[in-house]
This record gives sequence, C-alpha cells and structure tokens, in this order.
Amino acid sequence: MHPSFALLTMTGASVMLLSTLVVLWRRHIPAYISAFRWQSLALAFVAAVVAWHTGARELYVVAGLMLGFKGMLVPSLLRRMAARFPGQQELQPLVNTEASLLISGFLAIAAYEVARPLTAVVSLPTRGGLPVALALILISVFVIVNRRKPITQIVAFLMLENGIALLALLGAYGVPLIVELGVFLDLLLGVLVMQAILYRIPVAGAAAPLAAAAAAPEQP
Amino acid sequence: MTDGLVFLGLLVPPLIGAATVLLGRARARHAARINAATLPVSLLTAALAANALAGGRAPFESGDIWRLDSLSALFALLVSGICTLAIWLGPGIHADDDLARARARTFRVYANLFTATMLLAVTTSNLGVMWVAIEATTISSALLIPLHRTAAAVEASWKYLLIGSVGIALAFTGTVLALVDYSSTGGAADLALHWPSLLAAAGTLHPEVARLAFVFLLVGFGTKAGLAPMHTWLPDAHAEAPAPLSAMMSGVLLAVALYAIARWKAVIDLAAGTSFTDTLLIVVAVLTIAVGSLSLFAQRDYKRLLAFSSIEHMGLACFGLALGPAGIFAALLHLAMHAAGKSAAFLLSGRVLARFDSHEIAGAAGLLAAMPATGGLLAAAAIALAGLPPFGLFLSEVLLVRAGWMAGHTVVTGIVLALLLVAFGSLAYHLHRLLFGAPAAGVRIGERVGWSMAILAAPLAVLAWVGVSVPAPVQLLLERAVEVLR
Repeated sequence: MHPSFALLTMTGASVMLLSTLVVLWRRHIPAYISAFRWQSLALAFVAAVVAWHTGARELYVVAGLMLGFKGMLVPSLLRRMAARFPGQQELQPLVNTEASLLISGFLAIAAYEVARPLTAVVSLPTRGGLPVALALILISVFVIVNRRKPITQIVAFLMLENGIALLALLGAYGVPLIVELGVFLDLLLGVLVMQAILYRIPVAGAAAPLAAAAAAPEQP
Repeated sequence: MTDGLVFLGLLVPPLIGAATVLLGRARARHAARINAATLPVSLLTAALAANALAGGRAPFESGDIWRLDSLSALFALLVSGICTLAIWLGPGIHADDDLARARARTFRVYANLFTATMLLAVTTSNLGVMWVAIEATTISSALLIPLHRTAAAVEASWKYLLIGSVGIALAFTGTVLALVDYSSTGGAADLALHWPSLLAAAGTLHPEVARLAFVFLLVGFGTKAGLAPMHTWLPDAHAEAPAPLSAMMSGVLLAVALYAIARWKAVIDLAAGTSFTDTLLIVVAVLTIAVGSLSLFAQRDYKRLLAFSSIEHMGLACFGLALGPAGIFAALLHLAMHAAGKSAAFLLSGRVLARFDSHEIAGAAGLLAAMPATGGLLAAAAIALAGLPPFGLFLSEVLLVRAGWMAGHTVVTGIVLALLLVAFGSLAYHLHRLLFGAPAAGVRIGERVGWSMAILAAPLAVLAWVGVSVPAPVQLLLERAVEVLR
C-alpha cells in the first residue's frame, strides 16, 4: 500500500465536510452551489484515489461520472434554477447560525460515537474517514430540516447523497457498478423533477405563489 | 416457462404502455386502448408465476440481478393487479377536450413508469437495485400529484418529493452500512447486496453494525411506507393526487416499501437476533396505528380519511412483521387485502369528487341517493377497511391479534385492539354522514351502471371471497412467502 493513500482519502473527506459547513454560515445561495461543486470535485478525487490504489477500472468510470454529473452538470442546473427565483438570500432558518454550528459540532461528535463499531469492523486503510462521512450525512439532514428555501434543501439533499457515496467509497471501495449507475440516473432525474415541480408553483397562480415558493411549505 | 421470460413478461408491458402513449400523440384514444391491454399481460405473467411458485417450483432466476420467489410473486401480483385497475379507470379513454387529453397522456406515461419501477423493486435480487427502484417510484409519481395544477397539489408533491427523497437516502445509508459490514467480514465482492448471498453470509456479519444499518433502513423505507413519525407527507399526497394515483400509492407503493423492510429484516435477524428488530418494529407499529386511527375521527375530507386509514393499516402490517411466522403470514394477507380494499375506495372517491365537486364529507352527503352503485360499493369498501366480516381484512386482523397474543405481547395487542375499535367507530360515523341525507342542490341524481362499475366491484369480490374462505393457491403462496423470510 502506498503510504499516502490513507492521507489523500482523508484529505478529500475533510474538504467535503468543510464544504457542507459553508452552508451553515453563508446566506448567499450561489455560495451554496459552488460549495456543492467543490464537494463533488473532492468526492471525484477520493474515487480516483481509491481507483488508483485498488486498480479497479470501474472506479475510474465512477470518478469520471461524479466529475461530469455532480461536479459540472448538476451545479449548472442549480444555477439556472437559482436565477429563476428572486432573492439570492436564505433569510429565515429555524435555528440561527451560531446554534447551527454548535448543533453540527454535536452531530460530528455523535457521528464518531455511532461509527465506533464500524471502524472496529472495517480493516481498510481508509477507515479513518468513516466518521467524517457519517458526520456529513447527519449534518446534511440537519440543514434540510433547518432551512426553508427549496433550493437550499435541494443542495443539502445532494450533499447528503455525496456523504453516502463517500461512506461507500471509504468503507467498501464503492457499491457495485450497476447500483452506482442506477444511483446516478435517479439523482439526475430527481433533480429534474424537483426543478419541474418548483417551476410549477408560479404556473399554478400569478405572482403571489412565487413568494410562497421562496418561503416554501412547512417542512418535516 | 423459461426463467428470463417471466421477467420480460412482467416488466416490458408497462414500458410498452408508456412508449405507446408517448408516441401515439395523434391517436390518443387508440393509444389509451392499447395501453389498457398491455398491463394485463404483466398481471397474467404474475398470476402464472405465482401459481407455479405456490405449487412448489424453485424461484425464477436470471443472472445475479433477477429473482422471483414466492414473496416477490405475491407483491408482483398485487402491483400489476392494482395498477391494471388504475390504468383501466384512469383518465384518457373518455377524455374529450385538448387539455384533458394532454393531462391524460401525462397520467398514462408516468403511471406506466411508476408501475414498472414498483415491479422492478420486487423482482430484483440485488438490494441495491431494489433501492434504486424504490427511489425511482418517488420520482415517477411526484409529477402526477399536481396533475390538475392546484397550488395545494404542487405543495403536496414538493413535500412528498423532499421527504420521500431524504427518507430514501437514509435507507441507502443503511444499505451501504450493511454492504460495508458484508465486505469487511469476508463476503464475495461480486455478489455484494445479492439477497440470497447476503442471507447466507448474515451469520458472520458484525451484529452492532447490522443493528445500526437496520435503524437507517427502518427510518428510510418506513418514510416511504408511511410509518409514524415519518408519515407527514402521506395525507397531503394521497388527498391531492388524482384518484387512480392515490389508489396505486396507497394500495401498493406503501406495501412495496414494507416489502423492502421485510427483506432486510430477514438478513439483520440472522446477524443480530430477532429481538432488536422486533422491538423496534413493534414500537413504530403501535405509534403508527395510534396516529392513523386517532386521526380518523377529526377528518373532514374523505380522501384524507382514506389516507389516515392507510397509515393505520400499514402500522398493522408492520406489527405483524414483528410477530414471527404466524404474524408475517397475517401481515402479508393484510397487505394484500388492504391493497384491494383501499384501491377500490380511492377509485370510487374519484367518481364521488367528479359528481359532487367537493373534497368534504359534508359536501358529498346523500351519496347513496345521488349515486346508488358508487355509494353501495364505497360502503362495502369502507366496511371492509373497518375490519368487519365477511371481508378479508377481518380475517387478517383476527390472525394478527392472535399472533400478537401467542407471541406474548398481551398488553401491546390489547392497545392495538382498542385502537382498531376507535378506527371502526370513526369510519362508521363518517360513512353514515357520507351515505345518507339529502344531496346538495344542483347535484345530478342517479347513475348509469356500466363496465367500470363491474371493474370496481372486482377487488371487493376478491376481498369477500378471501374473507369467506382463503382459496388454496393463495394460502399456499402466502405460506411459501413466509418461508422465504425465515
């Protein structure tokens, strides 16, 4: 095993976690989209590093798809979606920034606690990053619950998916290729359907529902 | 029958249906008629396969991806049966104006794709592919909820899409955790997530990781199944969706999500013992039954009433899954009977809405006077859903309660029984308000009884038939499906 392998995957995982934190303290929606883009690039990097280490060719394909889909296509879809809605600010989270950061800290500690049996059973050199992946998953769910704007929720949902992909890469060197391809297809279609439904909100009435779209329905 | 043909026979007809409608824009009515003939092919295939499996045939298999055992066949039969009903009675065959025609086309394309994704979920042996299919059910059905583009429907579909997607993402987290467990404890990489291989290797899985995975899986798939406290999307989505989609979602989509939980539970039980999963399921089940049945009384909208009744019934089925073989038998019978009764009720509610133009129970009072046939059938469906004889849900509820008693959960079973009585009382009260009284002024009185009423009566006839005596092949299929999960 190359000595820098574990270090490189851990670096990628940390960059991914940091980009989720951007959503917690920034209020500008384009900043969320570029944070997601950076996160996806870091994910593709981790996939490529794992592919290089294991020599699995299909993982290079997966890394390429991550780069193309999540790193380029989906962010550009998101930018077009954001441009259609007025107001690039996330105004009223349920919990304010300071409390959000505190809660995320607790979630990260919880992730380390939850991951304890996991790191005990996994013997791969990448296992050090598993708690980071779980923290990413938990914090993304928290952001979805905490935020009101549909577009922020979509970004956080995509970050949740990135966290799961990271968990699979670090814990089992990825899911079987057929499942991976299905996940990509679902992800792309899911974003398109989310976009279609958001665009319908103004269609249902005149200008007023636009404001409703910005404020969004009450969440779980 | 060659094994591969079964999978083609199940999955290709809905895809052909969707393609026909999509390509046959110019001849929409013909396309709709062709579509009405495609899905019965899936139904027939499912029935033949189920019959062969009930007779003791080995599971149909093709490659590492496709597998149809008795449990899959039962659900394939339910999905294809209910979706055939929905396609037959759905918009399109009588649509006249252009707008209605465009919406009918949208409905048909997505309803066929929705059917295909549900069939894919129950015919694959790869639990990863099953997850992909269940995620795709959300995507293919979300756009159909706002078919009539009211603001409330758009809001309901957004809520459904967001909560459903996040829930299902958590189920994927659970799937990945189980995969990590499997590959770290020496499982063969090329058969990762292959259900029979996972089951064979379950004994060596790390129990703590398996438990952690099950928590994520239960929350995730439980969200899709409408289990409390993740059920909040369900009443809005079911009430706002067009009636045939409500029938498909309530009748079979919820059941498919419970199917996923049952498949995973079999694996986790072997890894970590049954007491952990059983306890979790019982807690969630009782909470769900309570939310469902205690909400019934306060409802004013008849489709929301049916939606909360679905929550209650999913809780009952979930309860059965935690009670050992006798309970699983009762749960599967319950899911099948609920699919028949609830889809009939939702399809009938669409007729009521079209006539009375009101979602409110009070607004549709005097149903029996205005629409004697629809009112009579809806009364039968409601009586079935309230758990009264001679319908099949009475039988499955008796079996559930007995299984609970035999498993030693006396107090919990007592609570469930009390909640069942509350549900019965609430449904009876609302049914009485709906059926009797004078219809609002301006509502047309009387209805023509045509072929569509005969189709609507069919699931109720099945409910009564099974309730009086379970046909031998059905009994056998259910028993073998229970064996699959042991």
